[in-house]
Amino acid sequence: MRIALLLSPAAVVIGVFFVGGVAQGVAQSFGYQPFLPGYHWSVDAYGEILADPAVRGSLLITLRVSLLSTVIAAVLGVGSALAIRGLRRGRGWVSGLFQVNLAVPHLVGALCMLLLLGQSGFLSRLFYSAGLADSPATFVQLTGDRFGWGIIAEYAWKETPFVGIIALAALSRGVTDLENAARVLGATRWRRLRRVTLPLLAPPVAASSVLVFAFAAGSYEVPYLLGRPYPATLPVVALQDYRNIDLSVRPQAMALAVVITLLTTLLALTYLALAKRLAGRPV
Amino acid sequence: MNANPLIDSVAASVGLTDITKRFGDTSAVTALSLQLAAGSFTALLGPSGCGKSTTLAMLAGLLSPDEGDITLDGTSMLRIAVEKRPVSLVFQKPLLFPHLDVAQNVGFGLRMRGFAARDITVKVQSMLERVQLGGLGARRVGELSGGQEQRVALARALILAPRLLLLDEPFSQLDAELRAEMRALVRTLHNETQTTTLFVTHDQIEAVEVADQIVLMLDGRLAGKGSPELFYQSPPTLQAARFFGVTNEICGSVCSGIFSTPFGFARPTAAADGDAVLVVRPEALRLSDCAAPDSLPGKIVAARFAGTYLALEMTTVAGLLVAHVAADTPAQIGGSVHVRVPVDASTVFRTDSA
Amino acid sequence: MTTVDAERQSRGLRRLSLRQPLLALIIAALLLPLVPLLAWAVSERWRYPALFPQKLSTRGLRIITDPRSQVLPGLLTSVVIGISVAVAATLIGLPAGRAIGVYRFRGRRLVQFLLLSPVIVPGLAVTLGIQVFFIRYGLAGTTLGVVLVQLLPTVPYAATVLGAAFANLDLDYERQARALGAGPMRTLLFVTIPLLRPALILTGLFCFLISWSEYILTLLVGTGQVQTLPLLLFAAIGSSDTTAAAALGVLVVLPPLILVALSGRLLRGQSGATIGLGRL
Repeated sequence: MRIALLLSPAAVVIGVFFVGGVAQGVAQSFGYQPFLPGYHWSVDAYGEILADPAVRGSLLITLRVSLLSTVIAAVLGVGSALAIRGLRRGRGWVSGLFQVNLAVPHLVGALCMLLLLGQSGFLSRLFYSAGLADSPATFVQLTGDRFGWGIIAEYAWKETPFVGIIALAALSRGVTDLENAARVLGATRWRRLRRVTLPLLAPPVAASSVLVFAFAAGSYEVPYLLGRPYPATLPVVALQDYRNIDLSVRPQAMALAVVITLLTTLLALTYLALAKRLAGRPV
Repeated sequence: MNANPLIDSVAASVGLTDITKRFGDTSAVTALSLQLAAGSFTALLGPSGCGKSTTLAMLAGLLSPDEGDITLDGTSMLRIAVEKRPVSLVFQKPLLFPHLDVAQNVGFGLRMRGFAARDITVKVQSMLERVQLGGLGARRVGELSGGQEQRVALARALILAPRLLLLDEPFSQLDAELRAEMRALVRTLHNETQTTTLFVTHDQIEAVEVADQIVLMLDGRLAGKGSPELFYQSPPTLQAARFFGVTNEICGSVCSGIFSTPFGFARPTAAADGDAVLVVRPEALRLSDCAAPDSLPGKIVAARFAGTYLALEMTTVAGLLVAHVAADTPAQIGGSVHVRVPVDASTVFRTDSA
Repeated sequence: MTTVDAERQSRGLRRLSLRQPLLALIIAALLLPLVPLLAWAVSERWRYPALFPQKLSTRGLRIITDPRSQVLPGLLTSVVIGISVAVAATLIGLPAGRAIGVYRFRGRRLVQFLLLSPVIVPGLAVTLGIQVFFIRYGLAGTTLGVVLVQLLPTVPYAATVLGAAFANLDLDYERQARALGAGPMRTLLFVTIPLLRPALILTGLFCFLISWSEYILTLLVGTGQVQTLPLLLFAAIGSSDTTAAAALGVLVVLPPLILVALSGRLLRGQSGATIGLGRL
């Protein structure tokens, strides 16, 4: 059919590269070794990573960093959208700035955060000028720290405008009309916010948050540059294992990759299931 | 059909034979057979959803009929693709390409046919003047008014000197005054070019004003064909009569060539025996103070001023009748009057075969 | 002035006075991280705890433009790959977008979701698995291989943006073109594509930006032999030469900024980036 023909190039790309890649990853996590004869299938790799406390630490920091970044980006994104939309003249400028921020590559963002939040970075020097710190060592460690604050800062900085733009678009598309209708019916500002604005913003913001989380959980360069070697996020550990000269470690790398995949896919599916359920719920 | 259309363009006669088109399990057009003489101007009339746009799409080649044949001068067109048919179609929306200016829009079809740029410029210029838009060639589409847009669409279609011109309710988006202007323009262009034209509309007044011949479609089928006068004076079917604004119906039955009613009203008719209804136009009813063989006694219950006429509603033994009389006729609500139903202005239809 | 008006005005003023500092805060937060980047790029010496660079210089610029350094070839590579990916992803996304935007077929929602799956699943996970494929077919370490792997994150966006564009396209324009004598190919060329121009520009831009910023996919498939700017930047960040890293960072960030600024003007009436981003 014609539709199949139209979809075929994209289907080839996704089928071959994406599905193929995931399938290869899963197979290799179960011991399949395309270049090593005499491999055998097993679930050893999974056993090893589940037993490894380092992996648990990585899972913890990955989840922590991703969830916090997503929540912060969502809250600040919606907040700034609400703050901006009432403006007449400034609005174009600010959403232009949002779009400018979106254009900044994450790698550059990581560098910016290093220069800003590093122990001898710009913020630290501001603290020095204000008399709050007297040497790089006394400034709070925000990069290369145990918690992952530097990583969270970079994600929050880059993803807040992402959510903000989406929220702004939703607000300009008829949400205001509904708010006015609620206003005429007697709803106060706080009530309008709670019962009209936020529920209407929830779907697009939730959808974009899923994307933000998926990106944060799977990103490599930002946690590598802004985090510690240990505990490192799952993608960093996965790549480390992958590059290990000892090929017997390869299945573990793949198993970690599978875990990351499961994490983000589960979240996306949960979102879809919830969205479908909530769509039919009476207000 | 391989000849240069601009030199050898001769208006074609068009034939539809038993055309049927189905969408799923509903039939949009059923067993439609129609002949259009070369150079004729026909209005395809019918209510929304009666299949007229579908018929036009099949003539243009945008849809293929499930059954039947479409011929141009006797040769079947079914195997010919849309872009190769010598047929031009103007849609309801002007559909001017927004990325091209007026002149480029008008010249689009010529460009597709491979005409030289110089020739195109000359032809476009003269075509624009014929639709009274001379000098507007460089305008962008967004700067045109609704009427101007439709003129450009017309010019774009006519410049290809088609052997059949199809117009799908092209003026329905314009206001009344503009519509009248555009109708006049189309008629003038037809007189100049003598292109076989099929004009689709749902407005019977427009059809009557613009066409030489009217084809009525109801529910996907042909429901009548003839001159405008024919539709007014002797409508082919009861449905056609109702569509053309006949509102007065007197029920009765026919027996041996006589239409009679329970209350004594009778007249000869050629209709076959059986239940029947006599229909008469509001304009045809005459009012008088005294009874006559062809009149019914009645009482005026409402009078509505409608600009060029007065609409009077009267109760009679035959039911409620509506008459359109001169606007200055003295009429008193509650007054008694005799309603005359002239023989030559009324038609009898069998009700079980309407 | 009635009491209602007075009250509304005073409320409005209060809101305004709260808004100004809030706005300033937002703008400051957006721009602040870029400040040290720019400062480092033009500084010769900037030791702790100075707030301003102690000595400015053009060393950063010289490092970038030095023909002996790898920066200029890296720039070329990034540009070539970026344009190739933008063109390829748009060409692939165009028919896919037509399929999901024009036709209402059973399983359309599923197809839309599947098309977006590479966006949900991190590229690292997929590429670790697929590197085998690239090695086997001799594509590892080649520019072509990098272009191909970068289709993974870009084709979903292309298909989604173009799908939305096709959904908004009035197909009667195509029918009218056919009725005027244009065949299917010429209708596509002279009518459909011009009508889709804003969306096509947006798609190409988006895909270029994704490719320009891509690090991990290029690293894995290029195996270090294909040196794009992000790879060079990554290495520079790891070095102790902060000025060089910052200068390179400015170089990496400049083309995206320019492109977004230019396209923002172009797409003013069409809620530019939101078309792509908000379409979920």
